[in-house]
Amino acid sequence: MEKYKISDSKLVSLYKLGSEEAFEQLLDRHKFRVFTTIYLIVKDNYVAEDLLQETFIKAIRTIKEGRYNEEGKFLPWILRIAHNLAIDNFRKEKRYPTVILEDGSSVFNTLQFAEDSIESAQIKQDTHVKLRQLIDELPDAQREVLVMRHYMDMSFQEISENTGVSINTALGRMRYALINLRKKMKQYNIAYDQNIYPR
Amino acid sequence: MIRTFTQDDVIRYVYHETSEEESKEIEKAMLCDAELQTMYKEISGVKNRLDAAQKAPSDMVVNNILNYSKSLNLLSNK
Repeated sequence: MEKYKISDSKLVSLYKLGSEEAFEQLLDRHKFRVFTTIYLIVKDNYVAEDLLQETFIKAIRTIKEGRYNEEGKFLPWILRIAHNLAIDNFRKEKRYPTVILEDGSSVFNTLQFAEDSIESAQIKQDTHVKLRQLIDELPDAQREVLVMRHYMDMSFQEISENTGVSINTALGRMRYALINLRKKMKQYNIAYDQNIYPR
Repeated sequence: MIRTFTQDDVIRYVYHETSEEESKEIEKAMLCDAELQTMYKEISGVKNRLDAAQKAPSDMVVNNILNYSKSLNLLSNK
């Protein structure tokens, strides 16, 4: 996890006092992680953007109304809001399924914004898009643990408590997820940096 | 004596869930165990890739959020 000069809790305090710059920094720090978490659950760019907006609006209201728990940490808290909204949406969509294209957009979105198609073709070349597709293809149980551990930064203990499986099962699912991804990355020739040395 | 570590231990190490002492032991074990070292490199490689694969929301959405926050601030200052 990245270390910042000003902690999240300090930024939240400054924001409570009216500093919009503090909020801008919080948003800038965490928008990628929160957005990726939502996207990997709902698998639709437009829906993910709506839910990102909803997540931060909830957070803003909670902080401004003085209901934010100072003892907690900002990132796990906002990720929990995002996760809950994404899961609710996912359940609703399961009842009314939409066709999702390879790049994660729905057929409806493509039809509505035809000018996106050129951009989409370029994006498809991007290995990051391919990697997100590979994550999508993981079995649900493995993807769930991967998103919770990697993007939501939950410990294996917390994952175990939240999913009702043992720590060893959560670890095992994570192991399979990472090994599966590595195999598929090799298969699709997605390079990964192996020149890493113990921290 | 060098302790034997499993793939799951390496995953906990990569995700910073091992104690300082355990981390040192894993690092020591990796020096003599090529299989463990390969596992570490591969898992770390995938982890870095997952970080790089994070998705960015559009500027429009980010601005919407910032504007919403500013509008609340304006209201409370009135």
